[in-house]
Amino acid sequence: MSELADALVSLNEGEVAKLVQRELDASVDAISILNELREGMDIVGERFKSGEYFLSELIVSSEIFKETMKVVEPHLQPSREGDKLAKMVLGTAKGDIHNIGKDIVATLLRIAGFEVYDLGIDVAPSVFVNILKETGAPILGMSCLLTPYFESMKETVKAVEAAGLRDNVKIIVGGGIIDERVRKHCGADAWTDDALEGVEICKKFAQEVR
Amino acid sequence: MIKETMTPKDRIEAAIKLEPYDRVPVAPLLNSQFPARHKGMTSAEGFALHDEKKFQALVDLFDEVGGWDAMLYPGAGLARNPEDSLSLYLWQSLSRKQRVFFGEGLPVNSPPQYAEREVFTVDDYDEIIRLGWEGFVEKNRERPAFLPHDEMIAWARNRTAQYSKDVKRWEERGIPTLIGAAVPSPLMYLSLMRSLTRFTMDIYRIPDKVQAVMDTLVDYFIKSSIDITRLVGIPGVILILERGGCFYYSLKIFERFEFPYIKKMTEAFASEGILSILHFDQDYTLNLPYFRDLPKKMCICELDSKTDIFKAKKILKDHMCIMGDVLPSLLSLGTPQEVKAYCQKLIDIVGKDTGFILSSGCSVPDDTKFENFKMMIDTAKNCWPHG
Repeated sequence: MSELADALVSLNEGEVAKLVQRELDASVDAISILNELREGMDIVGERFKSGEYFLSELIVSSEIFKETMKVVEPHLQPSREGDKLAKMVLGTAKGDIHNIGKDIVATLLRIAGFEVYDLGIDVAPSVFVNILKETGAPILGMSCLLTPYFESMKETVKAVEAAGLRDNVKIIVGGGIIDERVRKHCGADAWTDDALEGVEICKKFAQEVR
Repeated sequence: MIKETMTPKDRIEAAIKLEPYDRVPVAPLLNSQFPARHKGMTSAEGFALHDEKKFQALVDLFDEVGGWDAMLYPGAGLARNPEDSLSLYLWQSLSRKQRVFFGEGLPVNSPPQYAEREVFTVDDYDEIIRLGWEGFVEKNRERPAFLPHDEMIAWARNRTAQYSKDVKRWEERGIPTLIGAAVPSPLMYLSLMRSLTRFTMDIYRIPDKVQAVMDTLVDYFIKSSIDITRLVGIPGVILILERGGCFYYSLKIFERFEFPYIKKMTEAFASEGILSILHFDQDYTLNLPYFRDLPKKMCICELDSKTDIFKAKKILKDHMCIMGDVLPSLLSLGTPQEVKAYCQKLIDIVGKDTGFILSSGCSVPDDTKFENFKMMIDTAKNCWPHG
């Protein structure tokens, strides 16, 4: 593990900032810095999966990553179509305004290399469909934290079907009260109540749709 | 149906005191929306009902399913202490910040929701530490208010009078009310006031400051809760604990920022003869062993289906009553047969011998199917734990 990755895994915010600046000053390629940071995030993810780390470590490392990218990003070459893992549309279902889980997942997806179109909270089915059409994204993620919005997610899946997109769009539903029963009810392809697991599922989707 | 030999009050008390009961008691956590929806109203209409009509909707539901054993809350909303402006500030600061209601963009069948917004800044931490909670409130009294002070006092007075009235009417039916006051842990409160992400960053960046704020808050949280339980005559406090468990934080963080405060609060309540209902939303499975250090037989471990309730039984069975945990998706989307199977399993394993109250996992969802709700109640009345 590089020194920078190690600092990120240790959640040492000051050290990450110092090392990144040192590398930039030494004209280290920004993409190489990004890869070191991603290496750190991968290790954080492994520790999360093994039970050594918890959601708070994911949140803190993601926040450090996001802050650091503000410094690194201006040095990166503009990304090309093939650089991203996949495009993904994400949002909280119509009627629901909970955003904590969705925001964490959005950050983790971006770190993992997804091009995320985060539509925010209270997103109508027609808006999801329009953005799927506009972007050609092959993955849709929806979240909710309250039972009345199972119907919103189901309506969105139906709207995706009605728009003729369903065969080309993988759909995952997520949130604290989501389970297999809800997935079936909505007609989604997968479900999760775990942010990192959600990202893993999306990575599999990305491979399948390539 | 099992032959009942105990009153609902005795049955609930037996469960809490870990003494034998004639059957597993059942007590759903209800707000006014599901009863109203069942009567053909929208959630918005249910929420906006006059307190008396909310109470009547609850009574109608109670009668239609043949009753249950205890009310968590007796009717609409919580009691508030008109003499305690700090407590009212606490309530206001939360509500003003976060609650989003129908007519503010939410559909009519949506529960009121909490938006994740930052109200407190790190500067507020400094001010709370410097001035104390009372001084902080005095200085910032107007900041989060959405009711003028006089109106707030009048509202609190009405709220508490209604609460006491509702409690009395349930008592007349032989049904005890368990909750006199509701209070968050300091961690829960600060997480709500700062937002989960900002608060989590605070724990890593400025842990000593966060702890100092918590130390300032906790004594007031204890005192204000005790005062309200005395005001309404119900020796029970529900501790809102949704963001401090192993779903979010390591045990190291739990040990410093959550557990000591839960312990201090429950011990203070127990010393006054007050029951603590530990309302755990999300997963607390890894935290369960700590709860053996809380006052014995003076707490209820209320779970929402995310914590492993069977592990909770193993770890806490000789220490505290367990309540829960019929999951929201089951009540909302499942079939009565599925509800029955789930409840039967809970009764068989968690309800074995004593120490269990069958309940919804968190609040009964607004869109619960009535037949599922009834099946949850019926299963408690009809199924005795297998040996």
